[in-house]
Amino acid sequence: MNGVVAQWKSEFPQYKNTKVVTDWIPWTANGTDWTNALTSGKGGPDITEMGNTETPGLASQGALANITSDVHAWSNGSQIIPGNLANDTVNGNVYGVPWFGGVRGIWYNKNEFAAAGISAPPTTWAQLVSDAKLLMSKNKGSYGIGAPTDDTDAIASFIWGAGGQIAVQQNGQWVAQLTSAASEAGIKFYADLLLTQHVSSTKYIGETEIGAPGSSGAGGTQEDFALGKLDLYIDGPWAESQLETVSTKNKAQWASFPIPSENGPNPAPAFAGGSDLGVWVDSKYKAADWSLVSVMDNTSNATTFANSQGFFPEFTSALTSPTYASSQILAGFAKAAGYTQIAPMNNKNWGTADTSQYNIIPNMMKALESGANFQATVSKANTELQNVLNTGTETG
Amino acid sequence: MAETIQHEPAVLPGPKPSKWQRVRVGLATFIRRYKLAPYLMLLPALAGIGFVILWPLVQMGIFSFQNYGIPQIDGSMPISWVGFANFTNTFRDPEFWLSLRISVLFALVAVPGTLIVGTIVGLLLNRLGKKMSAFVSTSALLAWATPTVTASVLFFWMFNPDGGLVDWTLARMPHWLVGNTDWATYNWATTSAIPAYTMIALLVIWQAFPFVAITVLAGLKTIPSEVSEAARVDGASPWRVFWRITFPLLKPIYLVLLLLSVIWDFGIFTQSYLITGGIANANEFNLSLYIYAKAFTFPPSWGLGGALALILALILLVVTFGYVRASVKQGALT
Repeated sequence: MNGVVAQWKSEFPQYKNTKVVTDWIPWTANGTDWTNALTSGKGGPDITEMGNTETPGLASQGALANITSDVHAWSNGSQIIPGNLANDTVNGNVYGVPWFGGVRGIWYNKNEFAAAGISAPPTTWAQLVSDAKLLMSKNKGSYGIGAPTDDTDAIASFIWGAGGQIAVQQNGQWVAQLTSAASEAGIKFYADLLLTQHVSSTKYIGETEIGAPGSSGAGGTQEDFALGKLDLYIDGPWAESQLETVSTKNKAQWASFPIPSENGPNPAPAFAGGSDLGVWVDSKYKAADWSLVSVMDNTSNATTFANSQGFFPEFTSALTSPTYASSQILAGFAKAAGYTQIAPMNNKNWGTADTSQYNIIPNMMKALESGANFQATVSKANTELQNVLNTGTETG
Repeated sequence: MAETIQHEPAVLPGPKPSKWQRVRVGLATFIRRYKLAPYLMLLPALAGIGFVILWPLVQMGIFSFQNYGIPQIDGSMPISWVGFANFTNTFRDPEFWLSLRISVLFALVAVPGTLIVGTIVGLLLNRLGKKMSAFVSTSALLAWATPTVTASVLFFWMFNPDGGLVDWTLARMPHWLVGNTDWATYNWATTSAIPAYTMIALLVIWQAFPFVAITVLAGLKTIPSEVSEAARVDGASPWRVFWRITFPLLKPIYLVLLLLSVIWDFGIFTQSYLITGGIANANEFNLSLYIYAKAFTFPPSWGLGGALALILALILLVVTFGYVRASVKQGALT
């Protein structure tokens, strides 16, 4: 960051005496901090990072400055993956720029694959299950694949991988589609990893991919994979540093492949997660803010930063670079990054629907993995999802 | 009243009082005549309480009938009155009723649990020698003094499927004793409400019983030993001695303990927040978690939160009122 600031000062000499303070905030505390800044009108950032699913919600709460003209005038603007920039656009106005992104795939251990005689990663669900079973039988005391219930972004890939949708926009309204035959197939497949295939464990019920949500962070599929107690682990490349803090014993063997679609051969669409940069609405120095964003997020700085964090840059040209295809860990993720989807995660109420207040898909999956009636549970979630996604559309 | 006025310096002979003295005396007379002194002394405290509790309470009451959120604070949208919508929406939400049920059931288990364990330990302490009693009560108070967050994380680990002591032990027990559940991978915290609140009940009882024990012990020390000795000489069993002598004499203490326990256990937040995974598991919400999830997560809805807090306050008021009435009736609090 210091290097970036120096670069910014040389590119924009009018700010050479400006002090830039970086304030690190725990990811889970960002909502509270934004709320405090908005309500008091004080203590807000000048520039903020935000999860790309949070951007539309923040923009609709009036937290972000409209930077449409700046982005359009920006030379890098045209290189951004178009779908990701569209996510930051509300009613034709741009409120943020993609900074880095990442997709989930499936982590595996090369030695375990070789020992089980699996020559190529699975590309269909049937292969995924049979490989998971094979790995589980070869590695005593391990589980085949982790299916934590509080992992919407992974579950989404299975819904999309069967050709289903979570929700689609029709005539300005969102229509939830969890109950379509294809969506139900994806949901059922995920729940059945535990229920009928027995390749996942009951201990992941109610957990995220990194253990109990919001707690001391013990356990979870992440820790089990790092320790070799779980054979296939769904997460993004950013998990690498966290896996290393648990154990580096199998580090040299870690590799990835994309989440398979139901019948292959192309992978299931992955949720295009990532972070954006935005200019705060109450900032007094919006011109300076934007100029710094434009330097932080230029192709080379954004790529350097993304690489250092285990993410991908948001530029179409960078994604196809051979650096990723030749990396053992990143190759699978880079392949997955070619098949992404973001809707309905870019709905302004998605944050409400998917986290804290409703947690609709996680709670649905939790009920299913706990043995609840399939049709009733999915249909309840579907109704709830549609209501939440359309909240506030009548009043704007 | 008349005599007090006679003592006023104003009626005493002497030099003519200054204007300031006359005002002072007049004020003092006024205060004495209308017995205002206690109220004046309460005034600073009242102002403090009014500022930090009463005024926010009034504001909360107002918010609960509005659509109060961020856009209303920063002025991008007008504040509008929504009538009882916040309340009716809440009463229509099945999650509210589930969380209310969890809170009530939890209090029904944790309150008697705390009181029973605390009483037993209190009675035991009363029979121990001085040194042993000091040792036991100190050890017990350590549980009480453990910060709630520390205790919650400790229990979370003990009941963790990844090598937690409880899961590990249960997994090694014979099946005829502990059932056919796969205890080694049993996730107490996030699977569902019953295992999670079993664990939280144990935690809450463990942390709260020392307070009950010490309070009961203090009460026991005030009962003359002749009373229970006489009963025992007459051949009464310890059980009978407790219910016929000790308990009736300690009734005022138990009323207070009961009331405090109900209020504490009904509103627990820290333990359930830490153990059930924040606010991610809606089927494990108690009322406090439900309110937190609805009111304070982004984007916050303080209107709804205000309505929910009023509902919780009303429930607790009813409980409190019931016990205060009962205790006044029995002369316990007079």
